[in-house]
Amino acid sequence: MSRLGRIGAATRAGWHSFLRRRTAVFFTFFFPVIIVVIFGGLVETQSTDGGLFAEPSGWYIAGYLSAVVIFTPLSRVGSEVARHRDGGLFEKLATTPLRRWEWLLAQTLVNTVLIGLASLLLVLLLVVGTGANLPMTPELLLAVPLVGVGVALFCAVGAILGSLVESQDGVIAASNGIAIPLLFLSEAFVARDMLPDWLPLAASPITYFVRGVRGVTYEPTTSDGTVLTQWPEPTPYADLLGLCLFAVALFVLAAVALPRTD
Amino acid sequence: MGMLVAENVSRRYGETVALDGVSFSISEGEVFGLVGPNGAGKTTLARALTGTTEYRGHVELWGTEPQSVGRERLGLLPQDFSPPDRLTAREIVVFYSGLYDGASDTEELLATVGLDQCADTYYENLSGGQKRRTCVASALVNDPDLLVLDEPTTGIDPAGRQALWRTLQELAAGGTTIFFTTHYMAEAHELADYVGMLADGQLVAVDPPEQLIRQYGGESLLYIEGISEDESGDTPRSGVLDTVLEGYEFSLGDDQLTVRDVPPDAIGGIAGALEDAGVTYDSLTWTEPDLEDVYLELTGQNRHSEGHSTEMEG
Repeated sequence: MSRLGRIGAATRAGWHSFLRRRTAVFFTFFFPVIIVVIFGGLVETQSTDGGLFAEPSGWYIAGYLSAVVIFTPLSRVGSEVARHRDGGLFEKLATTPLRRWEWLLAQTLVNTVLIGLASLLLVLLLVVGTGANLPMTPELLLAVPLVGVGVALFCAVGAILGSLVESQDGVIAASNGIAIPLLFLSEAFVARDMLPDWLPLAASPITYFVRGVRGVTYEPTTSDGTVLTQWPEPTPYADLLGLCLFAVALFVLAAVALPRTD
Repeated sequence: MGMLVAENVSRRYGETVALDGVSFSISEGEVFGLVGPNGAGKTTLARALTGTTEYRGHVELWGTEPQSVGRERLGLLPQDFSPPDRLTAREIVVFYSGLYDGASDTEELLATVGLDQCADTYYENLSGGQKRRTCVASALVNDPDLLVLDEPTTGIDPAGRQALWRTLQELAAGGTTIFFTTHYMAEAHELADYVGMLADGQLVAVDPPEQLIRQYGGESLLYIEGISEDESGDTPRSGVLDTVLEGYEFSLGDDQLTVRDVPPDAIGGIAGALEDAGVTYDSLTWTEPDLEDVYLELTGQNRHSEGHSTEMEG
């Protein structure tokens, strides 16, 4: 069977397997809803002189998307790897033509589609529910590859976690332990000037995701609608490239880390 | 030189020795059954043969190490194999078929393992035996040259087991080389050309099952229960038994006479001679040695008498 055929077979199996776990599907789509309800509806953002949630609502689109792109693939792929290992599926796959990276790619494709849809739902809810404005520029389309590559990146991190942690429960705990500092010690919800200078933001892939997405989904304006120049100036293409480099490196690492033997 | 050669294969997990210098070989088209209790090292050996565990020693399949063998030539059923719960039996077979060129026809395969009536049932809703048959089908999709099955019939009911035996016998007749592990001595006896006996990580014997039984199984035994002389209910006098059982070694316990090394065609003669001598009994039980006796003998454990038996009412 050709490589594409094998990846297709694994993708179809992963797709059916996931879509039939109704609880998992429900929470994949409920997660963005609850984020918008809590942060966009209950907490609300107000432009004041400082503090958290002091930026215009559009500024937080990148942060909310970060939450979806980090948490869901981390826990989903991590627990899938643990489940596969417990079920002897990697042992079996080691004797089939399906390579580990092909299996991981299939899982990544499934998650990219599902989390991409959940991200779209999130953006729609933010626009409709909180009045966030999206700049209608060609660059806005860059949000699609940014989200796709972001999901792939965190699928790889999830696969590494699932390979290293011994149980499914442990994977969920480890996912949270990584996702929360990654999210809140970044520019996802906190402005750059509020973060400590020593924080190595350039070493975190979420930095590139947030800057890239924010660069194409947020446009600061004055109250009369005049568009202001952002500082630092957005560089979404460079951010996408940085994110891709992280994603490729982590994908290779994850494919090597996936269990093959006992 | 066999198509599968294992030489001095050893594997440790910390302080635990799972395999200790195991050596054997299998020729093309042979069926090799590995028996042993839980923890004997059967699964570790199956993994070593497929290159899915690390080991010391040397394993070759068709003259090369297992990891380098063309994957379309191998079929593996791991012991703790559990496919995704929310796929149907058919979808699981289709998935594994989708990994190979020229995979077997899904519907034929489902029928072969007796799943055609429940092919659209989710794996989680199948019975234990149906689940195991689904797993076996996943190992057959590529019509492998070497089939490695780790406890293929565990959890399958007797009818399902018989059906699976027939499938494996057909595969063997078609030239497939089969290595399987099992707890069931009768399964090894029925299917295997060669049986290996594994105890505490060591292969204590490898031979055809009949040869193992002849060599290590001991003698057949005839148990005569509730024995008494005439209507008195007294234990028969030894002189009577000496006459009736002339040429046989026997021992008399509480209401039970045990006669050793009785061929099956002599049982009727002994029963008739006892009746002629006025000796009555409640039942006759004849047992022949089997692989379980062989295993217990080779591992120095107490011998049971639960082999194949023929029972007659007296």
